[in-house]
Amino acid sequence: MKKPALRKVGETLELYTMVAPAYMVFLVFIFIPVAWAFYLSFFNYSILSLTSPKFTGLRNYTRVIRDPVFRVALWNTIRYSLYTVVPRMVLGLVFALLLDQKHLVGKNVFRACYFLPVVTSMVAASIVWSLVLNASPNGLANQFLALFGAAPKGWLADSRLAMPSVCVMSVWKDLGYVMTIYIAGLQGVPMELYEAGAVDGVTAWQRIRYITIPLLRPTTFFILVTEVLGSFQVFTQTYVMTEGGPGYSTTTMINLLYSRGFREFDMGYASGLAVILFVGLLVLSWTLRRVFRADEIVY
Amino acid sequence: MSAKRHTSSKHVVGQVLKYALLTAGAFVMIVPFLWMISTSLTPDSVIFSYKLVPKSVTFSNYVKAWNFSRNFDEDVSLGTFFINSVIVSFFITVPSLIIDSLAGYVLARRRIPGRDLLFYMALATMMVPFYVIAIPLYLVVRKLGWLETYQGMIVPFLGSGFGIFMFKQFFQALPEDLEDAARVDGCSPFRTYASIMLPLSKPVIATMTIFKVMWSWNLFFWPLLIINNIRLKTLPLALTMFRGLNVTQWGTLCAGMSIATIPVVIVYLSMQDQFQKGITMGAVKG
Repeated sequence: MKKPALRKVGETLELYTMVAPAYMVFLVFIFIPVAWAFYLSFFNYSILSLTSPKFTGLRNYTRVIRDPVFRVALWNTIRYSLYTVVPRMVLGLVFALLLDQKHLVGKNVFRACYFLPVVTSMVAASIVWSLVLNASPNGLANQFLALFGAAPKGWLADSRLAMPSVCVMSVWKDLGYVMTIYIAGLQGVPMELYEAGAVDGVTAWQRIRYITIPLLRPTTFFILVTEVLGSFQVFTQTYVMTEGGPGYSTTTMINLLYSRGFREFDMGYASGLAVILFVGLLVLSWTLRRVFRADEIVY
Repeated sequence: MSAKRHTSSKHVVGQVLKYALLTAGAFVMIVPFLWMISTSLTPDSVIFSYKLVPKSVTFSNYVKAWNFSRNFDEDVSLGTFFINSVIVSFFITVPSLIIDSLAGYVLARRRIPGRDLLFYMALATMMVPFYVIAIPLYLVVRKLGWLETYQGMIVPFLGSGFGIFMFKQFFQALPEDLEDAARVDGCSPFRTYASIMLPLSKPVIATMTIFKVMWSWNLFFWPLLIINNIRLKTLPLALTMFRGLNVTQWGTLCAGMSIATIPVVIVYLSMQDQFQKGITMGAVKG
Protein backbone atom coordinates (compact mmCIF):
# COMPACT_ATOMS: atom_id res chain seq x y z
CA MET A 1 0.00 0.00 0.00
CA LYS A 2 2.90 2.29 0.77
CA LYS A 3 4.58 1.62 -2.52
CA PRO A 4 2.64 3.98 -4.84
CA ALA A 5 3.05 6.87 -2.39
CA LEU A 6 6.77 6.25 -2.18
CA ARG A 7 6.93 6.11 -5.93
CA LYS A 8 5.10 9.42 -6.13
CA VAL A 9 7.65 11.02 -3.80
CA GLY A 10 10.46 9.57 -5.85
CA GLU A 11 8.94 10.89 -9.03
CA THR A 12 8.50 14.37 -7.60
CA LEU A 13 12.12 14.36 -6.48
CA GLU A 14 13.17 13.33 -9.96
CA LEU A 15 11.13 16.17 -11.46
CA TYR A 16 12.77 18.71 -9.15
CA THR A 17 16.16 17.31 -10.09
CA MET A 18 15.30 17.91 -13.72
CA VAL A 19 14.52 21.60 -13.21
CA ALA A 20 17.32 22.11 -10.69
CA PRO A 21 20.26 22.84 -13.06
CA ALA A 22 18.49 25.75 -14.74
CA TYR A 23 17.42 27.27 -11.45
CA MET A 24 20.83 26.87 -9.85
CA VAL A 25 22.29 28.86 -12.74
CA PHE A 26 19.56 31.49 -12.32
CA LEU A 27 20.13 31.71 -8.58
CA VAL A 28 23.90 32.09 -8.70
CA PHE A 29 24.29 34.08 -11.89
CA ILE A 30 21.10 36.18 -12.06
CA PHE A 31 19.08 36.42 -8.84
CA ILE A 32 21.99 36.84 -6.42
CA PRO A 33 23.67 39.39 -8.76
CA VAL A 34 20.44 41.40 -9.03
CA ALA A 35 20.14 41.59 -5.24
CA TRP A 36 23.85 42.31 -4.99
CA ALA A 37 23.57 45.14 -7.53
CA PHE A 38 20.98 46.86 -5.33
CA TYR A 39 23.10 46.21 -2.23
CA LEU A 40 26.31 47.52 -3.82
CA SER A 41 24.59 50.69 -4.95
CA PHE A 42 24.41 51.79 -1.28
CA PHE A 43 28.13 51.29 -0.67
CA ASN A 44 31.32 53.00 -1.56
CA TYR A 45 33.10 50.11 -3.20
CA SER A 46 36.14 49.59 -5.36
CA ILE A 47 37.71 46.20 -6.00
CA LEU A 48 41.09 47.89 -6.02
CA SER A 49 40.95 49.18 -2.46
CA LEU A 50 41.73 46.87 0.42
CA THR A 51 39.28 48.56 2.77
CA SER A 52 35.88 46.92 3.08
CA PRO A 53 32.88 48.59 1.41
CA LYS A 54 31.54 51.57 3.35
CA PHE A 55 27.79 52.21 3.63
CA THR A 56 27.04 55.56 2.06
CA GLY A 57 23.25 55.54 1.79
CA LEU A 58 21.96 57.22 -1.36
CA ARG A 59 25.26 58.94 -2.12
CA ASN A 60 25.97 56.84 -5.21
CA TYR A 61 22.60 57.81 -6.65
CA THR A 62 23.10 61.52 -6.04
CA ARG A 63 26.61 61.24 -7.50
CA VAL A 64 25.19 59.66 -10.67
CA ILE A 65 22.35 62.13 -11.06
CA ARG A 66 24.54 65.18 -10.40
CA ASP A 67 27.25 63.91 -12.76
CA PRO A 68 27.26 66.02 -15.95
CA VAL A 69 28.69 63.06 -17.88
CA PHE A 70 25.69 60.96 -16.84
CA ARG A 71 23.35 63.60 -18.25
CA VAL A 72 25.27 63.68 -21.50
CA ALA A 73 25.23 59.88 -21.65
CA LEU A 74 21.47 59.80 -20.98
CA TRP A 75 20.85 62.34 -23.71
CA ASN A 76 23.13 60.45 -26.12
CA THR A 77 21.29 57.22 -25.37
CA ILE A 78 17.92 58.84 -26.02
CA ARG A 79 19.24 60.30 -29.28
CA TYR A 80 20.61 56.92 -30.29
CA SER A 81 17.27 55.32 -29.54
CA LEU A 82 15.33 57.84 -31.63
CA TYR A 83 17.78 57.84 -34.54
CA THR A 84 17.85 54.06 -34.80
CA VAL A 85 14.41 52.75 -33.79
CA VAL A 86 12.37 55.05 -36.03
CA PRO A 87 14.37 54.53 -39.26
CA ARG A 88 14.65 50.80 -38.62
CA MET A 89 10.91 50.42 -38.18
CA VAL A 90 9.94 52.62 -41.13
CA LEU A 91 12.50 51.13 -43.54
CA GLY A 92 11.90 47.64 -42.14
CA LEU A 93 8.19 47.93 -42.89
CA VAL A 94 8.76 49.45 -46.35
CA PHE A 95 11.13 46.69 -47.43
CA ALA A 96 8.96 44.01 -45.85
CA LEU A 97 5.99 45.27 -47.90
CA LEU A 98 8.11 45.32 -51.06
CA LEU A 99 9.41 41.82 -50.45
CA ASP A 100 6.15 40.23 -49.32
CA GLN A 101 4.75 39.83 -52.81
CA LYS A 102 3.94 36.63 -54.57
CA HIS A 103 5.56 37.24 -57.93
CA LEU A 104 8.86 38.83 -57.05
CA VAL A 105 11.93 37.85 -59.02
CA GLY A 106 14.97 37.25 -56.82
CA LYS A 107 13.06 37.41 -53.56
CA ASN A 108 15.52 35.17 -51.73
CA VAL A 109 18.52 37.07 -53.03
CA PHE A 110 17.07 40.34 -51.75
CA ARG A 111 16.19 38.82 -48.40
CA ALA A 112 19.70 37.40 -48.03
CA CYS A 113 21.26 40.81 -48.79
CA TYR A 114 19.16 42.57 -46.18
CA PHE A 115 19.74 39.88 -43.59
CA LEU A 116 23.49 39.55 -44.12
CA PRO A 117 24.48 42.32 -41.67
CA VAL A 118 22.33 40.70 -38.96
CA VAL A 119 24.39 37.50 -38.96
CA THR A 120 27.78 39.20 -38.96
CA SER A 121 29.51 39.97 -35.71
CA MET A 122 28.87 43.45 -34.32
CA VAL A 123 32.57 43.88 -33.59
CA ALA A 124 33.66 43.04 -37.15
CA ALA A 125 30.91 45.23 -38.60
CA SER A 126 31.90 48.12 -36.33
CA ILE A 127 35.55 47.89 -37.34
CA VAL A 128 34.74 47.78 -41.06
CA TRP A 129 32.39 50.72 -40.64
CA SER A 130 35.02 52.72 -38.81
CA LEU A 131 37.01 52.46 -42.04
CA VAL A 132 33.94 53.23 -44.17
CA LEU A 133 33.42 56.34 -42.04
CA ASN A 134 37.10 57.17 -41.73
CA ALA A 135 37.94 60.86 -41.81
CA SER A 136 40.59 60.44 -44.51
CA PRO A 137 39.68 60.67 -48.21
CA ASN A 138 40.27 56.92 -48.25
CA GLY A 139 37.09 56.15 -46.31
CA LEU A 140 34.28 54.79 -48.46
CA ALA A 141 31.83 57.49 -47.32
CA ASN A 142 34.32 60.20 -48.29
CA GLN A 143 35.06 58.48 -51.60
CA PHE A 144 31.33 58.64 -52.25
CA LEU A 145 31.23 62.35 -51.37
CA ALA A 146 34.18 62.93 -53.70
CA LEU A 147 32.08 61.61 -56.60
CA PHE A 148 30.00 64.76 -56.19
CA GLY A 149 33.04 66.93 -55.63
CA ALA A 150 32.23 67.36 -51.92
CA ALA A 151 34.97 67.80 -49.35
CA PRO A 152 35.67 64.82 -47.06
CA LYS A 153 33.89 64.85 -43.72
CA GLY A 154 35.16 63.82 -40.30
CA TRP A 155 32.28 61.43 -39.56
CA LEU A 156 33.34 59.54 -36.42
CA ALA A 157 36.08 62.07 -35.70
CA ASP A 158 33.60 64.97 -35.73
CA SER A 159 31.76 65.34 -32.43
CA ARG A 160 28.59 66.56 -34.17
CA LEU A 161 28.55 63.79 -36.78
CA ALA A 162 29.82 60.91 -34.63
CA MET A 163 26.48 59.91 -33.08
CA PRO A 164 24.49 60.09 -36.34
CA SER A 165 27.26 58.08 -38.01
CA VAL A 166 27.09 55.36 -35.37
CA CYS A 167 23.31 55.35 -35.81
CA VAL A 168 23.57 54.88 -39.58
CA MET A 169 25.76 51.85 -39.00
CA SER A 170 23.35 50.50 -36.37
CA VAL A 171 20.34 50.91 -38.64
CA TRP A 172 22.23 49.07 -41.38
CA LYS A 173 23.17 46.28 -38.97
CA ASP A 174 19.69 45.45 -37.67
CA LEU A 175 17.35 46.55 -40.45
CA GLY A 176 17.12 42.97 -41.74
CA TYR A 177 15.99 41.75 -38.33
CA VAL A 178 13.09 44.19 -38.13
CA MET A 179 12.23 43.52 -41.77
CA THR A 180 12.14 39.76 -41.23
CA ILE A 181 9.80 40.08 -38.25
CA TYR A 182 7.54 42.33 -40.30
CA ILE A 183 7.51 39.74 -43.10
CA ALA A 184 6.49 37.09 -40.55
CA GLY A 185 3.76 39.46 -39.35
CA LEU A 186 2.55 40.11 -42.90
CA GLN A 187 2.15 36.39 -43.49
CA GLY A 188 -0.30 36.35 -40.59
CA VAL A 189 -2.60 38.87 -42.27
CA PRO A 190 -5.62 36.91 -43.54
CA MET A 191 -5.93 36.88 -47.35
CA GLU A 192 -9.71 37.35 -47.24
CA LEU A 193 -9.26 40.89 -46.01
CA TYR A 194 -7.15 41.79 -49.03
CA GLU A 195 -9.68 40.11 -51.30
CA ALA A 196 -12.50 42.06 -49.67
CA GLY A 197 -10.46 45.19 -50.24
CA ALA A 198 -9.91 44.28 -53.89
CA VAL A 199 -13.66 43.90 -54.37
CA ASP A 200 -14.19 47.35 -52.92
CA GLY A 201 -11.64 48.70 -55.40
CA VAL A 202 -9.18 50.19 -52.94
CA THR A 203 -5.81 51.44 -54.15
CA ALA A 204 -2.55 49.86 -53.06
CA TRP A 205 -1.85 52.77 -50.71
CA GLN A 206 -5.33 52.54 -49.14
CA ARG A 207 -4.88 48.81 -48.70
CA ILE A 208 -1.59 49.33 -46.86
CA ARG A 209 -2.85 52.26 -44.82
CA TYR A 210 -6.23 50.88 -43.77
CA ILE A 211 -5.79 47.11 -43.84
CA THR A 212 -2.16 46.08 -43.54
CA ILE A 213 -0.78 48.57 -41.02
CA PRO A 214 -3.65 48.25 -38.52
CA LEU A 215 -3.43 44.44 -38.74
CA LEU A 216 0.30 44.58 -38.13
CA ARG A 217 -0.25 46.37 -34.84
CA PRO A 218 0.83 43.46 -32.60
CA THR A 219 4.00 43.00 -34.67
CA THR A 220 4.73 46.72 -34.59
CA PHE A 221 4.21 46.75 -30.85
CA PHE A 222 6.55 43.82 -30.33
CA ILE A 223 9.27 45.38 -32.50
CA LEU A 224 8.88 48.74 -30.81
CA VAL A 225 9.32 47.34 -27.32
CA THR A 226 12.29 45.10 -28.13
CA GLU A 227 13.99 47.80 -30.23
CA VAL A 228 13.55 50.57 -27.66
CA LEU A 229 14.73 48.41 -24.78
CA GLY A 230 17.64 47.10 -26.88
CA SER A 231 18.65 50.59 -28.00
CA PHE A 232 18.96 51.76 -24.41
CA GLN A 233 21.58 49.06 -23.90
CA VAL A 234 23.78 49.96 -26.84
CA PHE A 235 27.46 49.38 -26.13
CA THR A 236 29.49 47.42 -28.69
CA GLN A 237 29.26 49.93 -31.56
CA THR A 238 30.07 52.95 -29.43
CA TYR A 239 32.88 51.07 -27.72
CA VAL A 240 34.50 49.68 -30.86
CA MET A 241 33.94 52.57 -33.29
CA THR A 242 34.52 55.62 -31.09
CA GLU A 243 35.16 54.52 -27.49
CA GLY A 244 32.48 57.01 -26.52
CA GLY A 245 34.25 59.92 -28.22
CA PRO A 246 35.20 62.33 -29.55
CA GLY A 247 34.87 63.96 -26.14
CA TYR A 248 31.74 62.37 -24.73
CA SER A 249 29.74 62.73 -27.94
CA THR A 250 28.97 59.00 -28.29
CA THR A 251 29.19 57.96 -24.64
CA THR A 252 26.04 56.00 -23.87
CA MET A 253 24.82 54.80 -20.48
CA ILE A 254 26.54 51.43 -20.85
CA ASN A 255 29.77 53.05 -22.02
CA LEU A 256 29.66 55.10 -18.85
CA LEU A 257 28.89 52.04 -16.74
CA TYR A 258 31.80 50.21 -18.31
CA SER A 259 34.35 52.98 -17.91
CA ARG A 260 33.33 53.88 -14.34
CA GLY A 261 32.97 50.28 -13.20
CA PHE A 262 35.75 48.50 -15.03
CA ARG A 263 38.27 51.20 -15.96
CA GLU A 264 38.11 53.33 -12.82
CA PHE A 265 36.79 50.49 -10.65
CA ASP A 266 34.27 52.79 -8.98
CA MET A 267 31.79 49.95 -8.52
CA GLY A 268 29.54 51.87 -6.15
CA TYR A 269 28.87 54.54 -8.76
CA ALA A 270 28.49 51.94 -11.52
CA SER A 271 26.04 49.91 -9.42
CA GLY A 272 23.99 53.04 -8.74
CA LEU A 273 23.93 53.66 -12.48
CA ALA A 274 22.97 50.02 -13.15
CA VAL A 275 20.03 50.22 -10.74
CA ILE A 276 18.85 53.52 -12.24
CA LEU A 277 19.07 51.92 -15.69
CA PHE A 278 17.17 48.82 -14.54
CA VAL A 279 14.34 50.78 -12.95
CA GLY A 280 14.29 53.16 -15.91
CA LEU A 281 13.93 50.29 -18.38
CA LEU A 282 11.17 48.65 -16.34
CA VAL A 283 9.25 51.95 -16.23
CA LEU A 284 9.87 52.49 -19.94
CA SER A 285 8.60 49.05 -20.94
CA TRP A 286 5.56 49.42 -18.65
CA THR A 287 4.80 52.83 -20.16
CA LEU A 288 5.12 51.56 -23.73
CA ARG A 289 2.78 48.72 -22.88
CA ARG A 290 0.23 51.08 -21.34
CA VAL A 291 0.35 53.61 -24.15
CA PHE A 292 0.15 51.13 -27.01
CA ARG A 293 -2.16 48.54 -25.51
CA ALA A 294 -4.61 51.08 -24.11
CA ASP A 295 -6.32 51.78 -27.42
CA GLU A 296 -6.12 48.28 -28.84
CA ILE A 297 -7.96 48.07 -32.13
CA VAL A 298 -10.48 45.27 -32.46
CA TYR A 299 -11.12 43.80 -35.86
CA MET B 1 -9.31 50.52 -73.52
CA SER B 2 -7.34 53.67 -72.83
CA ALA B 3 -8.19 53.42 -69.16
CA LYS B 4 -6.81 49.93 -69.13
CA ARG B 5 -3.61 51.00 -70.85
CA HIS B 6 -3.33 53.78 -68.33
CA THR B 7 -3.46 51.39 -65.39
CA SER B 8 -1.05 48.97 -67.00
CA SER B 9 1.56 51.65 -67.73
CA LYS B 10 1.12 52.80 -64.15
CA HIS B 11 1.64 49.20 -63.17
CA VAL B 12 4.90 49.04 -65.13
CA VAL B 13 6.17 52.22 -63.51
CA GLY B 14 5.28 50.78 -60.11
CA GLN B 15 7.14 47.56 -60.89
CA VAL B 16 10.24 49.42 -62.06
CA LEU B 17 10.18 51.62 -58.97
CA LYS B 18 9.79 48.60 -56.73
CA TYR B 19 12.78 46.76 -58.19
CA ALA B 20 14.86 49.94 -58.26
CA LEU B 21 14.18 50.52 -54.55
CA LEU B 22 14.88 46.92 -53.61
CA THR B 23 18.10 46.85 -55.62
CA ALA B 24 19.33 50.16 -54.23
CA GLY B 25 18.59 48.95 -50.70
CA ALA B 26 20.31 45.62 -51.26
CA PHE B 27 23.32 47.40 -52.71
CA VAL B 28 23.65 49.63 -49.64
CA MET B 29 23.41 46.57 -47.42
CA ILE B 30 26.20 44.63 -49.12
CA VAL B 31 28.48 47.48 -50.15
CA PRO B 32 30.45 47.46 -46.87
CA PHE B 33 31.10 43.73 -47.38
CA LEU B 34 32.22 44.20 -50.97
CA TRP B 35 34.50 47.05 -50.01
CA MET B 36 35.89 45.05 -47.09
CA ILE B 37 36.80 42.18 -49.42
CA SER B 38 38.17 44.51 -52.07
CA THR B 39 40.31 46.33 -49.51
CA SER B 40 41.52 43.03 -48.08
CA LEU B 41 42.88 42.17 -51.54
CA THR B 42 44.54 45.54 -52.10
CA PRO B 43 48.28 45.71 -51.32
CA ASP B 44 48.87 47.93 -48.32
CA SER B 45 51.62 49.76 -50.15
CA VAL B 46 49.13 51.38 -52.52
CA ILE B 47 47.75 54.18 -50.38
CA PHE B 48 44.62 56.07 -51.43
CA SER B 49 43.34 53.30 -53.59
CA TYR B 50 40.92 51.32 -51.43
CA LYS B 51 38.32 51.29 -54.15
CA LEU B 52 35.27 49.07 -54.56
CA VAL B 53 37.14 47.23 -57.30
CA PRO B 54 40.80 46.65 -56.46
CA LYS B 55 43.37 47.73 -59.03
CA SER B 56 45.87 45.05 -58.10
CA VAL B 57 45.21 41.91 -56.11
CA THR B 58 47.26 40.24 -53.39
CA PHE B 59 46.52 37.55 -50.84
CA SER B 60 49.43 38.45 -48.61
CA ASN B 61 47.13 40.52 -46.38
CA TYR B 62 45.39 37.31 -45.34
CA VAL B 63 48.67 35.77 -44.22
CA LYS B 64 49.55 38.94 -42.32
CA ALA B 65 46.13 39.07 -40.68
CA TRP B 66 46.21 35.40 -39.72
CA ASN B 67 49.56 35.91 -37.97
CA PHE B 68 48.81 39.41 -36.70
CA SER B 69 48.47 38.33 -33.08
CA ARG B 70 51.95 36.81 -33.06
CA ASN B 71 53.15 40.35 -32.35
CA PHE B 72 51.66 39.91 -28.89
CA ASP B 73 52.24 36.19 -28.36
CA GLU B 74 54.33 34.00 -30.63
CA ASP B 75 52.04 30.97 -30.22
CA VAL B 76 48.76 32.68 -31.00
CA SER B 77 47.23 33.11 -34.45
CA LEU B 78 43.69 33.89 -35.60
CA GLY B 79 43.16 30.12 -35.49
CA THR B 80 43.53 30.22 -31.70
CA PHE B 81 40.67 32.69 -31.44
CA PHE B 82 38.52 30.59 -33.77
CA ILE B 83 39.10 27.56 -31.57
CA ASN B 84 38.28 29.56 -28.44
CA SER B 85 35.07 30.82 -30.00
CA VAL B 86 34.12 27.29 -31.04
CA ILE B 87 34.79 25.98 -27.52
CA VAL B 88 32.74 28.71 -25.87
CA SER B 89 29.85 28.44 -28.34
CA PHE B 90 29.73 24.67 -28.15
CA PHE B 91 29.84 24.44 -24.37
CA ILE B 92 27.20 27.12 -24.00
CA THR B 93 24.88 25.76 -26.70
CA VAL B 94 24.79 22.02 -26.03
CA PRO B 95 24.50 21.97 -22.20
CA SER B 96 22.06 24.87 -22.15
CA LEU B 97 19.82 23.14 -24.71
CA ILE B 98 19.67 20.14 -22.37
CA ILE B 99 19.14 22.25 -19.25
CA ASP B 100 16.45 24.43 -20.87
CA SER B 101 14.58 21.52 -22.42
CA LEU B 102 14.58 19.54 -19.15
CA ALA B 103 13.06 22.47 -17.27
CA GLY B 104 10.74 23.28 -20.17
CA TYR B 105 9.44 19.73 -20.23
CA VAL B 106 8.67 19.62 -16.50
CA LEU B 107 7.00 23.04 -16.55
CA ALA B 108 4.90 22.09 -19.59
CA ARG B 109 3.79 18.54 -18.81
CA ARG B 110 4.21 17.74 -15.11
CA ARG B 111 2.57 18.88 -11.89
CA ILE B 112 4.98 19.77 -9.14
CA PRO B 113 4.37 22.11 -6.20
CA GLY B 114 5.53 25.62 -7.08
CA ARG B 115 5.42 25.04 -10.82
CA ASP B 116 3.84 28.41 -11.59
CA LEU B 117 6.34 30.18 -9.37
CA LEU B 118 9.19 28.47 -11.20
CA PHE B 119 7.74 29.55 -14.53
CA TYR B 120 7.42 33.18 -13.41
CA MET B 121 11.00 33.06 -12.18
CA ALA B 122 12.12 31.93 -15.64
CA LEU B 123 10.17 34.82 -17.19
CA ALA B 124 11.65 37.24 -14.63
CA THR B 125 15.18 36.37 -15.74
CA MET B 126 14.27 37.68 -19.19
CA MET B 127 13.43 41.06 -17.68
CA VAL B 128 16.95 41.58 -16.34
CA PRO B 129 19.27 43.32 -18.81
CA PHE B 130 22.71 41.75 -18.68
CA TYR B 131 24.46 45.06 -18.14
CA VAL B 132 22.53 45.61 -14.91
CA ILE B 133 24.09 42.55 -13.26
CA ALA B 134 27.51 42.80 -14.93
CA ILE B 135 29.29 44.18 -11.84
CA PRO B 136 27.96 41.72 -9.24
CA LEU B 137 28.33 38.89 -11.76
CA TYR B 138 31.94 39.87 -12.18
CA LEU B 139 32.32 39.69 -8.39
CA VAL B 140 30.59 36.28 -8.23
CA VAL B 141 32.84 34.88 -10.95
CA ARG B 142 35.89 36.37 -9.24
CA LYS B 143 34.86 34.69 -5.96
CA LEU B 144 34.61 31.39 -7.81
CA GLY B 145 38.12 31.97 -9.14
CA TRP B 146 36.86 31.91 -12.72
CA LEU B 147 38.31 35.15 -14.07
CA GLU B 148 40.48 34.36 -17.12
CA THR B 149 38.92 30.91 -17.62
CA TYR B 150 36.67 29.19 -20.14
CA GLN B 151 34.17 28.22 -17.46
CA GLY B 152 33.89 31.89 -16.51
CA MET B 153 32.75 32.64 -20.06
CA ILE B 154 30.43 29.62 -20.22
CA VAL B 155 28.73 28.63 -16.96
CA PRO B 156 26.79 31.89 -16.30
CA PHE B 157 24.85 31.27 -19.54
CA LEU B 158 23.97 27.61 -19.10
CA GLY B 159 20.32 28.27 -18.33
CA SER B 160 18.10 30.77 -20.10
CA GLY B 161 14.58 31.89 -19.36
CA PHE B 162 14.01 32.36 -23.05
CA GLY B 163 15.07 28.79 -23.83
CA ILE B 164 12.85 27.36 -21.10
CA PHE B 165 9.96 29.44 -22.39
CA MET B 166 10.41 28.25 -25.98
CA PHE B 167 10.69 24.57 -25.00
CA LYS B 168 7.71 24.86 -22.67
CA GLN B 169 5.60 26.37 -25.47
CA PHE B 170 6.65 23.57 -27.80
CA PHE B 171 6.03 20.70 -25.37
CA GLN B 172 2.65 22.12 -24.36
CA ALA B 173 1.46 21.97 -27.95
CA LEU B 174 2.15 18.22 -28.24
CA PRO B 175 -0.88 15.91 -27.81
CA GLU B 176 -1.72 14.82 -24.24
CA ASP B 177 -1.91 11.06 -24.84
CA LEU B 178 1.72 10.84 -25.93
CA GLU B 179 2.89 10.20 -22.41
CA ASP B 180 0.04 7.96 -21.32
CA ALA B 181 1.60 4.85 -22.80
CA ALA B 182 4.88 5.66 -21.13
CA ARG B 183 3.08 6.18 -17.83
CA VAL B 184 1.37 2.80 -18.07
CA ASP B 185 4.72 1.18 -18.75
CA GLY B 186 6.03 2.81 -15.59
CA CYS B 187 8.55 5.02 -17.35
CA SER B 188 10.29 7.51 -15.08
CA PRO B 189 9.89 11.22 -15.91
CA PHE B 190 13.44 11.43 -17.20
CA ARG B 191 12.98 8.37 -19.43
CA THR B 192 9.75 9.84 -20.79
CA TYR B 193 11.53 13.13 -21.52
CA ALA B 194 14.54 11.48 -23.13
CA SER B 195 12.88 8.75 -25.15
CA ILE B 196 9.49 10.24 -26.07
CA MET B 197 9.60 14.03 -25.90
CA LEU B 198 13.10 14.84 -27.10
CA PRO B 199 12.90 12.86 -30.36
CA LEU B 200 9.76 14.83 -31.22
CA SER B 201 11.31 18.22 -30.58
CA LYS B 202 13.75 18.39 -33.48
CA PRO B 203 12.25 21.61 -34.94
CA VAL B 204 12.55 23.59 -31.73
CA ILE B 205 16.01 22.14 -31.07
CA ALA B 206 17.14 23.20 -34.56
CA THR B 207 15.99 26.80 -34.20
CA MET B 208 17.22 27.09 -30.61
CA THR B 209 20.62 25.74 -31.67
CA ILE B 210 21.01 28.42 -34.31
CA PHE B 211 19.82 31.08 -31.90
CA LYS B 212 22.23 30.03 -29.18
CA VAL B 213 25.22 29.47 -31.47
CA MET B 214 24.78 32.92 -33.02
CA TRP B 215 24.28 34.51 -29.64
CA SER B 216 27.29 32.88 -27.99
CA TRP B 217 29.51 33.29 -31.07
CA ASN B 218 28.99 37.06 -30.85
CA LEU B 219 29.30 37.42 -27.07
CA PHE B 220 31.43 40.47 -26.46
CA PHE B 221 30.76 42.47 -23.30
CA TRP B 222 31.14 39.63 -20.81
CA PRO B 223 34.41 38.18 -22.18
CA LEU B 224 35.69 41.77 -22.43
CA LEU B 225 35.23 42.06 -18.66
CA ILE B 226 36.79 38.80 -17.56
CA ILE B 227 39.39 37.88 -20.22
CA ASN B 228 42.73 39.62 -20.66
CA ASN B 229 44.84 36.58 -21.43
CA ILE B 230 45.35 36.63 -25.19
CA ARG B 231 45.33 32.82 -25.34
CA LEU B 232 41.76 32.72 -24.07
CA LYS B 233 40.34 35.50 -26.22
CA THR B 234 37.38 34.70 -28.43
CA LEU B 235 37.12 36.05 -31.96
CA PRO B 236 35.14 39.24 -31.20
CA LEU B 237 37.61 40.20 -28.47
CA ALA B 238 40.58 39.44 -30.68
CA LEU B 239 39.19 41.53 -33.54
CA THR B 240 39.33 44.67 -31.40
CA MET B 241 43.12 44.25 -31.30
CA PHE B 242 43.15 44.99 -35.03
CA ARG B 243 42.07 48.54 -34.27
CA GLY B 244 45.63 49.19 -33.17
CA LEU B 245 46.84 48.71 -36.75
CA ASN B 246 48.52 51.60 -38.44
CA VAL B 247 46.46 53.80 -40.79
CA THR B 248 48.32 52.41 -43.75
CA GLN B 249 47.38 48.79 -43.08
CA TRP B 250 43.73 48.72 -44.00
CA GLY B 251 44.37 45.72 -46.22
CA THR B 252 45.50 43.60 -43.28
CA LEU B 253 42.69 44.91 -41.12
CA CYS B 254 40.04 44.08 -43.73
CA ALA B 255 41.61 40.67 -44.34
CA GLY B 256 41.20 39.97 -40.62
CA MET B 257 37.56 41.05 -40.71
CA SER B 258 36.95 38.95 -43.83
CA ILE B 259 38.43 35.85 -42.20
CA ALA B 260 36.08 36.37 -39.26
CA THR B 261 33.01 37.19 -41.35
CA ILE B 262 33.10 34.94 -44.41
CA PRO B 263 32.61 31.56 -42.62
CA VAL B 264 29.51 32.90 -40.84
CA VAL B 265 28.14 34.26 -44.12
CA ILE B 266 28.67 30.90 -45.84
CA VAL B 267 26.91 29.03 -43.04
CA TYR B 268 24.07 31.53 -43.21
CA LEU B 269 23.67 31.30 -46.98
CA SER B 270 23.63 27.50 -46.85
CA MET B 271 20.75 27.43 -44.36
CA GLN B 272 19.06 30.76 -44.89
CA ASP B 273 15.55 29.82 -43.80
CA GLN B 274 16.52 28.14 -40.53
CA PHE B 275 18.77 31.06 -39.75
CA GLN B 276 16.06 33.64 -40.18
CA LYS B 277 13.76 31.52 -38.07
CA GLY B 278 16.39 30.97 -35.40
CA ILE B 279 17.32 34.59 -35.03
CA THR B 280 13.85 36.06 -35.22
CA MET B 281 12.12 33.34 -33.21
CA GLY B 282 10.03 34.39 -30.29
CA ALA B 283 8.86 37.30 -32.35
CA VAL B 284 6.07 35.47 -34.11
CA LYS B 285 2.62 36.25 -32.76
CA GLY B 286 4.13 38.67 -30.23
